Amino acid sequence: MSCNKSELAQTAMKIALKAGANECRITISNTRLVEIKYREMKPENIKEASKNEMTILLYVNGRFSSQRTCDLRNNALETFITNAVKQTALLAEDPFRSLPDQKLYKIPKEIDLENIDPNYNNLSTEARHNIAYKIENECRKIAGDNLISANAEISDSFQDTLVLASNGFEGQTQSTSYSVGASIALQDEGTRRPNGYYYANTTRYKDLPPVEFVAKEAVERTKRLIGGKKIKTQTLPIIIENRQVPRILYGLLAAMYGRNIQQKQSFLANKKGRVIASPKLTIIDDPFIKRGQGSRLFDSEGIASGKRAIIENGRLNNFYIDWYYSRKLNCTPTTGTPSNLVITPGNRSLTDIMKDLGKGILVTGFIGGNSNSTTGDMSLGIIGEMFENGEIVQPVSEMNIADNHLTFWNKLIETANDNWEYSSRRTPSLVFDNIVVAGV
Amino acid sequence: MKHISRRSILKTAAGAAAALSASPQIATSLAKITDETPGCFFEKEFGISDQLCRKVLSAALAKGGDYADIFFEHTVNNYLVLEDGKVNRSSCEISLGVGIRTICGDQVGYGFTQELSEKSMLSAATTAASIADSSPNKPAGKFISMEISDFYPLKTLMTNVPLEDKLKIVQELNTQIFQRSPLITKAQISLSENHKQILIINSLGTKTSDQQPLSHLSASIVAEKDGKQEQERYYLGGRCGFEYYNQETINTIADEAVKRVLTLFDATIPPAGEIPVVVGPDSGVLLHEAIGHGMEADFNRKGTSTYATMLNQKVAQSDVTIVDDGTNLNLAGSINVDDEGTPGQCTVLVEKGILRGYLHDRISAKHYGVSPTGNGRRESFEHYVVPRMRNTYMMSGSDNEEDIIRSVKNGIYVKSVSNGQVKIGEGDFAFYVSQGNLIEDGKLTAPIKDVNIMGNGPKMLRNITRVADNLAFSRSAIGRCGKDGQSVPVGFGMPTVLVKSLTVGGRKS
Repeated sequence: MSCNKSELAQTAMKIALKAGANECRITISNTRLVEIKYREMKPENIKEASKNEMTILLYVNGRFSSQRTCDLRNNALETFITNAVKQTALLAEDPFRSLPDQKLYKIPKEIDLENIDPNYNNLSTEARHNIAYKIENECRKIAGDNLISANAEISDSFQDTLVLASNGFEGQTQSTSYSVGASIALQDEGTRRPNGYYYANTTRYKDLPPVEFVAKEAVERTKRLIGGKKIKTQTLPIIIENRQVPRILYGLLAAMYGRNIQQKQSFLANKKGRVIASPKLTIIDDPFIKRGQGSRLFDSEGIASGKRAIIENGRLNNFYIDWYYSRKLNCTPTTGTPSNLVITPGNRSLTDIMKDLGKGILVTGFIGGNSNSTTGDMSLGIIGEMFENGEIVQPVSEMNIADNHLTFWNKLIETANDNWEYSSRRTPSLVFDNIVVAGV
Repeated sequence: MKHISRRSILKTAAGAAAALSASPQIATSLAKITDETPGCFFEKEFGISDQLCRKVLSAALAKGGDYADIFFEHTVNNYLVLEDGKVNRSSCEISLGVGIRTICGDQVGYGFTQELSEKSMLSAATTAASIADSSPNKPAGKFISMEISDFYPLKTLMTNVPLEDKLKIVQELNTQIFQRSPLITKAQISLSENHKQILIINSLGTKTSDQQPLSHLSASIVAEKDGKQEQERYYLGGRCGFEYYNQETINTIADEAVKRVLTLFDATIPPAGEIPVVVGPDSGVLLHEAIGHGMEADFNRKGTSTYATMLNQKVAQSDVTIVDDGTNLNLAGSINVDDEGTPGQCTVLVEKGILRGYLHDRISAKHYGVSPTGNGRRESFEHYVVPRMRNTYMMSGSDNEEDIIRSVKNGIYVKSVSNGQVKIGEGDFAFYVSQGNLIEDGKLTAPIKDVNIMGNGPKMLRNITRVADNLAFSRSAIGRCGKDGQSVPVGFGMPTVLVKSLTVGGRKS
């Protein structure tokens, strides 16, 4: 179907317009995925498939609906779209609904984001099995006698997406992604069996970490969970490990979305242009990072990408506003969703920071919890390690941190120089002072 | 439940789907109710015959393997949204496909396709077959249709209701909410419905089909008072028909949503640390996280669950009995049949304090030498089966809720929760309290909000010291449970219990 995608989108658009839609946007995507998991030195799961789907946004006399189907046969599509247009017309009129202004469609085509691995088709099934096998084998070599279970995994996918809008936008993206990792269970005291893991995601195969490193990280991170217990409730500095930062950043971002601002569910609604965080915090939304997993030349609406400082030295500079909510809020649209998020790193390594910080907790995982986008209140379970002068003195579990985003981000005192590269959230470890950590 | 014509659904589900947006005429002409089963649907629409299925199963067993199955699915999801006073958004998603699985010991090969053609299915079967490496096996020569119970009786399928009637409900809920308080500034109302048809055919020679409806009506509201804003969400639903969304249900949602959001203006955040916690009947997530996941048998056969060595041991006081049940009428986690053809049933996890059994799919049941418990579930045809919960709840005890609260000098009462999570191996869990109260000198006092509670499953079970006689299943407790990248609907229920101590994540030491 891939070679006929443009033709299929044109056909769907013609059907929609003929049926009475004033405007429409068609998105067709094809995905191929392969997943191989090993356990006990043999394949535990093998999965492989391809899938196709079409999403159609219909604008009918000021009314709006979205439709998605995987039945792309011509006759089925005609019935599907024609009925959809009729039914959309029955909804209430919404004067803010339309396709984006064509001026927003100016895509910088000369940029190669390197989203595609040119060797994607060269990775054989045997090679995938070999990688998963080797990772598990390495895990077993170094885990020791208290190993209960080792799982190793490799997965990859290829995605091809075409977007066609009736007011002149046409864009296509292709991307590849790879993931390797291992999860480990070790025997601890009593019935505790700590589960730890290490996973890395990349756009290109050659950027994946070596299998030995994956295995070592998975085993070492699990070993560091052994003996975890809760400690006395106290106020301490905490360091949130680089790859865990997105979990807490999520609550801050939620208040930046146009929908939440317009629906009065944002504690940041009236804070644009104001300082909301420590001057140590700068967050850049950068869609142009080569091989970045969130890299893109245009967003799902076709709006051309732009690099933006969301927060600069603690000052809130930008929101995530899509076309619809820009009209409701009477402001300029940016984009509805983040691309790659980069928190500006500091100069020192995590190790050096821990040595100088005295006593604190390194947070290596979160569990449960929530963040309230209206009030900014948050409360999250944490897993990690208490350290003193750079040495780990006690793994901790069953503990919790709670705060409000408007005070929490002002407690940021340093960013490490270790931005996590295996995600679209390229965040360094962050150091916060005076955090109440709840335990016994 | 009554059976709707699948041919009709397929034709009309496109667009905002007949269910959601059809006029009465469209609904009448294209979505009439018949007695057709999902098996007939897949046969009529896509030519899925027993002969073809035998061919596909033979391909899935071409390299050996103990067992193979084919899972056909057609699902319609509809969503209707009111924002800023108008029902101005709808969405519809049609999902159609087939997944083919080969099991070889505890190994699984899996392929899926959205094209229900012989060629595509044989290709998916070849992928599934690659898990094995021996001589071919053959599927049964004949498929016997399995009769199943009906745990979601209803009068009118949501997919048969004209748009106008649904619009009235959504708009009425909006009106009721704003009538209840001048402090309400925003309301987003949504009506969500999902209709899934499945057909499962396996190499042992059984053929099972089901239709699984699921819907809910939700209100997400914002109130403003003295320059402060608060938000809350409340919803009701389940595997129910349109008749459930009557004036009483609408009023209940409006009452609860408004009452809860206004309560938050007076709410405080409790001090941090370990304190006694009284968990009310709307907080069944506690059991789901603290014990349910750890009892899923895949974790136990691999030895990665903290409960792996506790079978037949005392894990709680004798008034604690916990079950996982697929047979509760119209609850979100109820299933007539699981996604590998095992009938819905009730499974005892803890009986009078003794851990009695795990939640099994076919693979783990074979490993333990027991029968599958009907917990083999999957999000869709794109996923292979793993053991999952259904409705997990604790049976009533003999205590009285008021007496339990009276017995606590300083603690908290948990009224409603969300966002549970557990670490299976350690047993450590967390859940988020969205509504509750402080308990001071045996009385409920100031409301609390936005606080996470942490605990350890086995320890928490041992620390349940009192169980009340008020088991309740909340229709607002429709959970989406995530595991292995898959999400399935589950339900919760429990009586009020006293947990001697849990860690409360406050902001002050």
